[in-house]
Amino acid sequence: MSRLGEHPIVDFDRGREVTIYFNGKPIKAYEGETVAAALYAAGIRVFSRSFRFHRPRGFFCAIGKCSACMMEVDGIPNVRICKVYVRDGMELRTQNSLPNAENDIYSMFDSMIDRFFPHGSHYKKFTKPKFVRELVTAQMRKFTGMGEFPKAELNEKGEYEEIETDIAIVGGGPAGLSAAIYAGRTGAKVILMDENPYLGGQLIKQTHRFFGSGRHMAGTRGIRIGEILQKELYELPNIDIRTETKVFGIYDGVVAAVEKDTKLLKIKPKKIIIATGAYERTLIFENNDLPGVYGAGGVQTLMNVYGIKPGERGLIVGSGNVGLILTYQLMQAGVEVAAIVEAMPRVGGYFVHAAKVRRLGVPIYTKHTIKRAIGKKKVEGAEIARLDENWCVVEGSEKRIDCDFICVAVGLSPAHELLYHAGVEMRFIPELGGFVPTRNRYGETTKPGIYVAGDVAGIEEATAAMMEGRIAGLDAAIKLGYGDEETVRLRDEIVEDLDEFRKGPFGERIVAGLKKIVVEG
Amino acid sequence: MKVAIIGGGVIGLSTAYFLAREGADVTVFEQKYLLYGASGRNSGGITAMHDNEAMIELAKRSIELYEVLPSEVDFNFLFRQDGYIKVAATGDDFEALKEEVRLQNSLGVKSRIIDAYEVKDFIPDFNEESIIGGAYEPSGGVIFPWPVIWGLAKGCRELGVEIRDNTEVKEILVENGRVEGVVAGDETFRAEYVVNAAGAWSNRISSMAGVELDNKIIKEEICVTESLKPYLNQYLLDITTGVYLSQSMRGEIVGGILGSEADNLSTSSTLDFVFRYSRRAIELIPKLKGLALLRQWAGVYDEGKDGLPVVGETKIDGFIQANGFGKAGMSVGPAVGEELAKLILKGKSEKLAVFNPERF
Repeated sequence: MSRLGEHPIVDFDRGREVTIYFNGKPIKAYEGETVAAALYAAGIRVFSRSFRFHRPRGFFCAIGKCSACMMEVDGIPNVRICKVYVRDGMELRTQNSLPNAENDIYSMFDSMIDRFFPHGSHYKKFTKPKFVRELVTAQMRKFTGMGEFPKAELNEKGEYEEIETDIAIVGGGPAGLSAAIYAGRTGAKVILMDENPYLGGQLIKQTHRFFGSGRHMAGTRGIRIGEILQKELYELPNIDIRTETKVFGIYDGVVAAVEKDTKLLKIKPKKIIIATGAYERTLIFENNDLPGVYGAGGVQTLMNVYGIKPGERGLIVGSGNVGLILTYQLMQAGVEVAAIVEAMPRVGGYFVHAAKVRRLGVPIYTKHTIKRAIGKKKVEGAEIARLDENWCVVEGSEKRIDCDFICVAVGLSPAHELLYHAGVEMRFIPELGGFVPTRNRYGETTKPGIYVAGDVAGIEEATAAMMEGRIAGLDAAIKLGYGDEETVRLRDEIVEDLDEFRKGPFGERIVAGLKKIVVEG
Repeated sequence: MKVAIIGGGVIGLSTAYFLAREGADVTVFEQKYLLYGASGRNSGGITAMHDNEAMIELAKRSIELYEVLPSEVDFNFLFRQDGYIKVAATGDDFEALKEEVRLQNSLGVKSRIIDAYEVKDFIPDFNEESIIGGAYEPSGGVIFPWPVIWGLAKGCRELGVEIRDNTEVKEILVENGRVEGVVAGDETFRAEYVVNAAGAWSNRISSMAGVELDNKIIKEEICVTESLKPYLNQYLLDITTGVYLSQSMRGEIVGGILGSEADNLSTSSTLDFVFRYSRRAIELIPKLKGLALLRQWAGVYDEGKDGLPVVGETKIDGFIQANGFGKAGMSVGPAVGEELAKLILKGKSEKLAVFNPERF
């Protein structure tokens, strides 16, 4: 049984027991958990097959950002089951496989297709004569596509709402929540949207205590910070909170979103704050797509939100704070950690975290990398190897690690699609994690009235994200005529406070990055 | 004979191909990259169901060419001749369909009028109450525009055509009422003929030769859903709302709304399009409701002031217009190329006569 019972920090409050059907087979689940979590708890590892090679795909990001978990749900194809909650009697079918994803006969393509049909060759092979071309084209067509055309017509009636407001905030993580609270307190009319059914963003899986001074809520666990922010938010009557609301575009200052998959929102705000956070990065190695290779965040979601063990023995790749924190979170949940692999010569994260992990007896292999994941349909082990000064694998240094899952914790990239859609000037700043927008000290981008806050503005920590959110929220409200001198003073204080916060040794990189992208004005 | 062709779309490349096949020395100038213009952005609907005699003839011939060119250039255009369906939601539009089908039939096109239930025979989930009637043509269907362009470019190169991409034509050289070549990039290219196949950019190119051209600029938007197993075989166009959709070889439902006149060349996408398209598409096939849109884009093309293309030699000797094809560029492109090659090499093309630029 992989569902956790007792946990030292989190109480898992499971809902009513229901039955869902996976390829016809009944599976026990609890209301309040996602389909992906329920299937994982039932031991199912192969969720789908890849488009071309029919390689197994399983649980991966857990937050609706990848397509590895797409299934047919009640006759509707290509549904990301990590974003859908179980309902009694739900019918799930795996797609693009025969007879099912677990035992797909087309998986033979994986070893053959590149030999006979290398990529792009469908234009160049069997082109003549005409009847051969037509025959091959018709056959090729049969192998494309993921799901079947919808078998059922969606019952829900589509709705539409037009909203005029002062400030629209995209993303309900630490930055977005803070922006909403501080803008809301000035009296500005705010709409806060998040694609998840809950607020708090990634805070909901952060069971560890935060650092810094008391003013930055240090010593408080991430999950608790999320709760505090939400309490503050719900006290404000002028904030319209929309969860399960996916913003899909910013068209000439108009924000377009879909609420609960059925309602289209057209929002005309005077200011927009984009606080969409970040994606997990992955790493290139052989078999990195095998079910059982996860992002650190996916594993945290599974374990800390749904109370499900990711496996029995894990390998962690990356010794930054996320990798270290995840290690002891896993051990708290009773999961063994075989080792931590780190390419750099020393541990990347804070000393306190590293010391804690070492005390727990987890070996940390510095100057090592993962060479490949071992397994057919799921991870059965990993091969790690030492790196030389040129970051190349030292021949003969390979070592097998027995594990049933691998967590890749190699950092984050800003989730910046909406910024591009809005036409904001973007630049590549490696210190900040990738392409980030040019902005002023208050977070306002090159498109007047469009602000950024949090990880989307540059990968940092939740504490900084909250401060950036407050600054953006206050500045947007001030520009709209809300607040008074006190509000302006508060904004400037937080700007100074944030500068101060970044003065520590871990802020150096961030400060260097910000110098390149923050402009006057 | 040296020919400079401006525009690396389906018109420019088809013309280059047929000219080179007859031994002409051809250079194609593309301002951006192949597929940047409307030839890379359209939905690949191919049909001979037009309402003008000359257009029908060109489309008929183009369908024949789409059947033989892939073998010639050794490249699969992924052309599926599963049929093209036009539907009408008003009585007037249905009457117009009947009239154009009569014209098509008189020219040998095997189109026919069908009722709403026959549409349902082709597309089982079609909502028969969403239309009055339709027309069906079996030889039309869906092509993938990208391999058409790649394949034509391959054929051109093998015949010695030079395709210069990212090369904007800055000047057209004219002396004593005769075209002498073009200035592109930093070089001067001498040519006896210059073909203006620049699509939405044709007005600007034409003015460089001192020839007035006043084609309408049309902006059109398209979107695609997630990828599905084969479901929709035909290409479906609702002539009343302009909404069309088909399924690509990758399995996406590709759909759009016929374009409307624009006053600039912007290719930005709009939210209004998503609303309008989705609303009508769901009326036509209600089960589309369960699908998610993945992406949208826009393109610009041009259309002659009277709705017909502008093709032929201008008052400047050797300066040839080949533009204004509206939404039909992909459907008539190959035959236009074949005829233009005749016009340039033999001085005459009857099929193109009605599109004479001097008609305005």
